[in-house]
Amino acid sequence: MLKVCHLYPDLLNLYGDRGNIIAFVQRCHWRGIPVEVVEVNVGESVDFEEIDFLFLGGGSDREQNLMAADLLLRKESLRQAIEKGLVVLAICGGYQMLGQYYLTHEGQKIPGLGILDLYTRAGEKRLIGNIVIESSINGVPVKIAGFENHSGQTFIGDMEPLGKVVSGFGNNGQDHLEGARYKNVFCSYLHGPLLPKNSSLTDLLIQLALQRRGLESTLSQLNNDLEEAAVGVIVERLVK
Amino acid sequence: MNIKLMIAVIAAKLAASLSRMFGGKGSSLPGVVARRIYQGTLRDLAKQARKDIIMVTGTNGKTTTNNMIASVIASTGCKIVINQEGANLITGVTTAFIRYANWLGRIDCDYALLEVDEASFPKVLREISPQMVVVNNFFRDQLDRYGELDKTVTLVREALKDLPQVHLILNSDDPLVAQMQQATGHSATFFGLAPNQRPATGSQQTREARFCPMCGEELQYENYQYSQLGSFVCPGCSFKRPEPEIEGFAIETVGSVLNASVKYHQAMTTLSIHTHGFYNVYNALAAFTVGSLIGIKPEQIAKGLLTYRPAIGRMETFFYQGKPAILNLVKNPTGYNEGVNSLLSIAGTKTVFMAINDNDADGKDISWLWDVDFEHMVKANHEIELFVCSGLRAEEMALRLKYAGIPLEQITVIKEMEPAIKKALEGPGKLTYLFSTYTALWSAQKILLALAEKEVPHAEGVSSIS
Ligand SMILES: [Zn+2]
Repeated sequence: MLKVCHLYPDLLNLYGDRGNIIAFVQRCHWRGIPVEVVEVNVGESVDFEEIDFLFLGGGSDREQNLMAADLLLRKESLRQAIEKGLVVLAICGGYQMLGQYYLTHEGQKIPGLGILDLYTRAGEKRLIGNIVIESSINGVPVKIAGFENHSGQTFIGDMEPLGKVVSGFGNNGQDHLEGARYKNVFCSYLHGPLLPKNSSLTDLLIQLALQRRGLESTLSQLNNDLEEAAVGVIVERLVK
Repeated sequence: MNIKLMIAVIAAKLAASLSRMFGGKGSSLPGVVARRIYQGTLRDLAKQARKDIIMVTGTNGKTTTNNMIASVIASTGCKIVINQEGANLITGVTTAFIRYANWLGRIDCDYALLEVDEASFPKVLREISPQMVVVNNFFRDQLDRYGELDKTVTLVREALKDLPQVHLILNSDDPLVAQMQQATGHSATFFGLAPNQRPATGSQQTREARFCPMCGEELQYENYQYSQLGSFVCPGCSFKRPEPEIEGFAIETVGSVLNASVKYHQAMTTLSIHTHGFYNVYNALAAFTVGSLIGIKPEQIAKGLLTYRPAIGRMETFFYQGKPAILNLVKNPTGYNEGVNSLLSIAGTKTVFMAINDNDADGKDISWLWDVDFEHMVKANHEIELFVCSGLRAEEMALRLKYAGIPLEQITVIKEMEPAIKKALEGPGKLTYLFSTYTALWSAQKILLALAEKEVPHAEGVSSIS
């Protein structure tokens, strides 16, 4: 049984975030891998050691602040679980939150959880639009497509990005990198949402979650025609 | 005589004819032309309305509400100016007045009825001062274009605050709307539904307003109608659902007619409207409220509402070889959820068509499809054998259905609209239900008009009195 944790679904429900949970669960489901989803809201307890896949999304400013306050209380247990291989997908605000700090326009440093070697600073304009990145999944080059919409510009330190920007802005619109990878943590500005279309990434997350529990992690093949077609629409439009 | 206005109107009318010659709809170009020649065009035309200027804004149901108000007022023999379906930016509003003006720039009208886009609302208010503003609801809509919902609500609130005087017609059940009286200090009349009016199939997922707009505390609900609409109360301050003066109840659908009872002050009346969909009762209540505020008798309002016919894509009904086909515009999760619910409330087998475009006017970000509860349709799977997905993002729509749990063999992707609609009309269901985003709507309607019979004459612009 894999346990999926959706953090703050009440607060962070922008941009079809739910789609990421749906994709992870369904792809387990179709393969007969039992899976359970727990939703954890502000003030509710959760033991990250017991979780196999943690999803952290983004929200509007007010909601983001409420989430940050709650998440800071869980900082140590989350850091330990991540060091021990917890599989995490963090999007937009969730991504920024895992870093060192967020630098506002006014020059104020809002501390993050400090788990990952990255920081974010407020940008001049919002980076909005369809985006295609090239990533490597189990050694295979893969095009990942989604939609980005963020004003924060993130700079990663000594870490792997999720991929290289083929078309779009990515982390900051400057260094052509998108997202971040650390152990089993995957961060990205791609919503879209990310997992339903990009099935090889979803399968990698499932694999890593199974491996961490010492379970059989060879996944049976699924029909990915629609997934590939949905990515293909964006790739064809942006990459010519 | 206002020479500048005259020249602007003449140029705009010429532009309109030229544009029509080349197949354009001409719903914003004349406005653009006139405004470029004379900036005061809208202001000078609008002040010729003899009685009131009434505006409708909010997220869902602007067109429907505005057309319902038109049906009510027109039934009394008054002359109106109304802006066309969707032409709700400042250029569209300007175009509406130009269309009704003569070559001298004179307009003969009692009321101007204008639906105004939330983002354009402040801009329009800088040039026109309405006597009444109807606000229906606020939902998340096309995020990439407007930023987040909070900003939209703030925009409307601040614009209203800047008006020296106006009477507000507000939905008491939506906290984001109901706050407008307290927040702006204007007078207001509230309309709403008696608690627990909606069928139990309601979706719980998309709730926009969890926090009190006054003090930020989490709102508590005694019951929900749909989305964040319901009986709310703030534990942190005195803000709660205002008692509506105009209250709807006993909602039922009989054939293609929606019936509802309305309680106002001590009296009661029954409304019958040619439309589907629970949420349309709110639009009818808004029209009822406007009608009674300008002194139309309730029986006359009911008569007027009976003449209302859905505009393009607002539950517009066609017949294909005797089989009904319903066209429904979708633009945000709440609207799509309501559409799915109303589809599921129709008995019998259905074929479903879904056209998703991601042009500017649709919203380039279609991630909201993942916030719609298509999972509800899985339970009714046996009644829906075929889903035809079309439009620029047909594949993503199909993917959403796949992950909702619809078997792959029931999903077909046909990107081109015409063969896709044909396939859906000829589908196995006794009824065809068509969902379409904004920019796919007109081609969908055009194709339907060519292939199928329209149920009733089109209500666009309420042409009988224009
Ligand atoms: Zn309050």
